[in-house]
Amino acid sequence: MGGIISETFFIYRRNLKTWIGVPANVIAPLFISALLFILFGSMFERTISLGGFGTEDYKAFLVAWIIVQVVVFSGTDSGFALLMDIMSGYFDKLLLAPINRFSILFGTLMVSGTRALLQSLVIVGLALAVGVRFETGVLGILAMLALAVVFGLVWSCMGIMIALKTRNAQVTQTAGLLFFPFIFLTTAFMPEDQLSGWFKVAVKINPVTYVMEAMRVMTLDGWDWPTILTGVWVAGVMLAVLLAATTWMYRRQTA
Amino acid sequence: MAQDNIIQVENLVKIYPGDVKALSGIDFNVGRGEFFGFLGPNGAGKSTTIKILSTLLKKTSGRVSVAGFDLEESSSSMKVRRTIGFAMQEVGLDDLSSGRDFLVMQGLLYKLGRREASKRAEELLELVGLTDVAGRKVGTYSGGMRRRIDLAGALVHRPEVLFLDEPTTGLDPQSRLAIWDHLNELHSQGTTILLTTQMMDEADQLCQRLAIIDNGLIVAEGSPETLKDEMGDDVVRISLGSPSDGIHEKAQSLVNAQSYVTGSAVDEEGLVIDVRDGDASAPALLKLLIENEIEVARWAVSRPTLDDVFLKHTGRTIRADSADGDAYDQTFRQSMGVGRQR
Repeated sequence: MGGIISETFFIYRRNLKTWIGVPANVIAPLFISALLFILFGSMFERTISLGGFGTEDYKAFLVAWIIVQVVVFSGTDSGFALLMDIMSGYFDKLLLAPINRFSILFGTLMVSGTRALLQSLVIVGLALAVGVRFETGVLGILAMLALAVVFGLVWSCMGIMIALKTRNAQVTQTAGLLFFPFIFLTTAFMPEDQLSGWFKVAVKINPVTYVMEAMRVMTLDGWDWPTILTGVWVAGVMLAVLLAATTWMYRRQTA
Repeated sequence: MAQDNIIQVENLVKIYPGDVKALSGIDFNVGRGEFFGFLGPNGAGKSTTIKILSTLLKKTSGRVSVAGFDLEESSSSMKVRRTIGFAMQEVGLDDLSSGRDFLVMQGLLYKLGRREASKRAEELLELVGLTDVAGRKVGTYSGGMRRRIDLAGALVHRPEVLFLDEPTTGLDPQSRLAIWDHLNELHSQGTTILLTTQMMDEADQLCQRLAIIDNGLIVAEGSPETLKDEMGDDVVRISLGSPSDGIHEKAQSLVNAQSYVTGSAVDEEGLVIDVRDGDASAPALLKLLIENEIEVARWAVSRPTLDDVFLKHTGRTIRADSADGDAYDQTFRQSMGVGRQR
């Protein structure tokens, strides 16, 4: 069993190189995130006067959503990376090696976690640069990053399952479109009090809302434990369920 | 017998989802140290067989043992994987890593340890002649270089058994010869090799024993020589100089009287004569004709080829339906061109 740790590490390191080896992989999502941050931050700046935002700085309000959208959208990257290896046959080469086959899955997921961490870190840095104040300080930022990693893993599991199920690169990439409603049917741009009708209902059903709200209160308000723990609980349960489903699907396809 | 056979396959059946029957019950053994070939067209079941033997695919039924491990037992597949190497057709390479890194990674996956993996990578680069381009990304390699790095990757752990899935399909003749040299060298060092191919000359030149596979069944098995010998006689073709009326008939009756001639015919080119031992019979036939003042313009001896063997057992020629490009098509046509036509 000790082998699986070093095996996972070898595969993690190789997958990380593959990801970073194509700079566009790294830069594109960060560029889009920065663009969304600047554009929406300026576009909706004055909606803050509607009230209920809990802050006078719209950019600070937006930070949590920017982090969530980047880690959610990156979910397809993990599926796509795995699929590229399956299609190139490198995956078979790994399966031929005398290693525990789960090390391939774990190595892939570790890259997903690393990716979510780096992406969130860049966004936090950008937010600090434009003057956003994080009420919970350094500890709060670390907690947000941790939550972002967990949530990134959730959507990576989603991407991996889509890749394993469809075995199709185009489908896997465009499957990111399915993530759109989850990202936008949230309190992305407006606080809950300003929402109404079916939209408000959808927002309350969408689990993404709760994870984002947890990050948001850490940015704007401080250690509001009920909101934070709800977000952590939602992300944790989703991760547990999806990890189990992914592992099951992976085992069925490789064992 | 069990000791001599490093691969034993009994009544192996593979049915893919959707009731697609890839293998309809095949039996064969490969001896330790043997160079064994699977010859057949696309979709015959070659790759399926090799993937089952290498633990990449699960069989539907039948018995398979590799290096003494019965694949029925779940603990076997890990042991089998330590024993075997597998070079796939043009695939399974990590295009974004350098040739050297690819080999080091292979070494790590086969538990060589960091230092040993680096050392082994250099040895293998030397072996396949890629030391000069070791730092370049595999994605920039030519077809021949890709096959060689792939072969090297399959050798990191010095496998007892080497599987090769169409190792030279699509390569130019020079690259093919380079791969053949490596394979002969490995074989002479005691490695058991099982390769699949759809190229007659590859099977003929490399393999000690062949199984011809078609539609999921082994239709013939034996050494290339035996298979060809079973096809019967050699053919001597003779075109006559300044042919005149009745000259062919005269020549035909002369040759038919010889004990080593088993049959003859006349076609638009001239005489087509079935003989035993063509190399010895041809001079005798020429001498006979010349002594009887029949002028000979051209002559040729041909022996049965594996194409003929394949034709006999399957009722058709092996088809190049793969879109593997010009090099392949050319090689294929060349190999067909030297074949005997009837």
